[in-house]
Amino acid sequence: MSYEAIAILMFAAMLLLMLTGQRVFAVIGFVAASAALLLYGEGAIEMPFNAAFKLFNWYPLLTLPLFIYMGYILSESGIADDLYRMFHVWFGGLKGGLAVGTIGLMIVISAMNGLSVAGMAIGASIALPEMLRRGYDKIMITGVVQAGSSLGILVPPSVVLVLYGMIARQPVSKLWLAGVFPGLMMAALFIIYIVVRCKLQPHLGPAVSFEERDMPLTEKLKLLRAGIIPFLIFFLMTGLFVLGITSLVESSAVGATAATLAALVKRRLNKQVMEETMRKTLHISCMFMWIILAALCFGAVFDGIGAVRAIESLFITKWDLTPWQVLIMMQLSYLFMGTFLDDTAMLVIVAPLYVPLVIVLGFDPIWYGILYTITCQIAYMTPPFGYNLFLMRAMAPPEISIIDIYKSIIPFVLVMTFALILVMAFPQIALWLPAQF
Amino acid sequence: MQSAAKIIRAYVKYVDYFSVKAGRVAMYAIFLMIGTLLLGAISRNIINLPLSWTVELAQFTITAYYLVGGAYSLQQGAHVRMDLIYARFSERTKAKWDSVTSACLLGYLVCLLIGSISSTMYAIEYGQRKFSQWNPSLIPIKVIMVAGIILMLLQAISVLFKDIAKARGVNLTAEKS
Repeated sequence: MSYEAIAILMFAAMLLLMLTGQRVFAVIGFVAASAALLLYGEGAIEMPFNAAFKLFNWYPLLTLPLFIYMGYILSESGIADDLYRMFHVWFGGLKGGLAVGTIGLMIVISAMNGLSVAGMAIGASIALPEMLRRGYDKIMITGVVQAGSSLGILVPPSVVLVLYGMIARQPVSKLWLAGVFPGLMMAALFIIYIVVRCKLQPHLGPAVSFEERDMPLTEKLKLLRAGIIPFLIFFLMTGLFVLGITSLVESSAVGATAATLAALVKRRLNKQVMEETMRKTLHISCMFMWIILAALCFGAVFDGIGAVRAIESLFITKWDLTPWQVLIMMQLSYLFMGTFLDDTAMLVIVAPLYVPLVIVLGFDPIWYGILYTITCQIAYMTPPFGYNLFLMRAMAPPEISIIDIYKSIIPFVLVMTFALILVMAFPQIALWLPAQF
Repeated sequence: MQSAAKIIRAYVKYVDYFSVKAGRVAMYAIFLMIGTLLLGAISRNIINLPLSWTVELAQFTITAYYLVGGAYSLQQGAHVRMDLIYARFSERTKAKWDSVTSACLLGYLVCLLIGSISSTMYAIEYGQRKFSQWNPSLIPIKVIMVAGIILMLLQAISVLFKDIAKARGVNLTAEKS
């Protein structure tokens, strides 16, 4: 059997088994282990465990549980409530202003955390109920929370970029800096979309009445203090890392400590909050780590059959594509795979195949990391396999149905695709900032 | 038949109990990771004493964390599934499918276990150490990894028992689970 056929067979088997609803890590691990045994015989039975040692050496992944921990502490600590109130008063008067404020809130949360889970939890528990109560259109605001929280992996810090940095052997600090402007640009595009839409259809996002927002200017200014803690956390974590004072993993520990202290100062830290945080952190971390463990084995088998060269010859020799066509094919294949594979597994399995090719074609691997991350954000939100969709279903108030959730993402996916095209066409958006350091 | 059912009930009860206990111990390891890394950052920057072992200790901790905690999260259903079709099934149909497809889970875990044992035997035989300035022995972490994988396998079998029972309309954990 040709190696291409083996590769296709492995993917097909994985897709089929995934459809049965078995746990993702078990399906990936099983297909990988079986393929290893069939291809290389008995000796290959150690391949699944060898992946555990590869994972052991990927120590930057320590940021994963620490960011998850931090996200839960932040959503419990009341920092987000204060921030929401600030945005509420300052933007509420605008048509659709609360939705704009929610995007603002999501940017601040993203700057404090490297995953989209934190923004999702905060958006669904604080912003959504408030906006529903004020008669905002539920489909629009569901989309706002989902799109906004996906900024978590693009605005630094970002765990997805850490993982990409390990696979592509690129410095994480450059990748994080490269994410800043694309992230802010995307947030700006979201805001433009919301403002224009609410101008055309004012019933989607009615302005908050003047009486409710009315308070003396001094009071209004006092609300801005809510921004102090997030700024401190951002500086202590990303700032110290980019300045080279703390290492990557140390900075995530600093961030986790800072968030815990902030919760302590706000007197929101009790036994129950700690208990919940620790338990959820363990569960979510285990979920990710086991998927990565299994995907590493899958990747090793793929590597063994020479998939890199197979893809290179397919794209360049057989199909005779130009570099840009290859790039677009890669993005499309990510979107396709994203429908049945989770993003972490996709990164671990596919990035080692694509990154060498990207470099051969003369593209910048840092820039490509940003493209990957935006694609990932889109994949996070598109059915049937999107973490954000799962989380939204679990966290949103009951009046928001799964159909609402599916409908809500359409305009935002279009906006994100537009942002992706912009970053593809103008690589400077991503590459200008890292070049300054 | 009666006694077989009794043994299975006892197995499920004890394995579930033990997974929870082990998971709850692992849960606290997050503070060990935060503490060690923080210590490294502080001692290098403030008292100018670089510690070479902090990141390595944290590496050991995270490995133990997800391998020992895995069984607890498996029991609690924290491992994500692609539920495009699965979500539409009734609880009983889900249990039926899971009983069949858990062959994947068990197969993968058995491979992991065999690999982990042979790797640990090797480490013990040759006194394998991690090549670094700290140069710690790899035996303790490998033993913990084997233990974590065994626990995961035991828990997967317990989940399988529960699924088979559910598929047949029996409840194994009659009281509260």
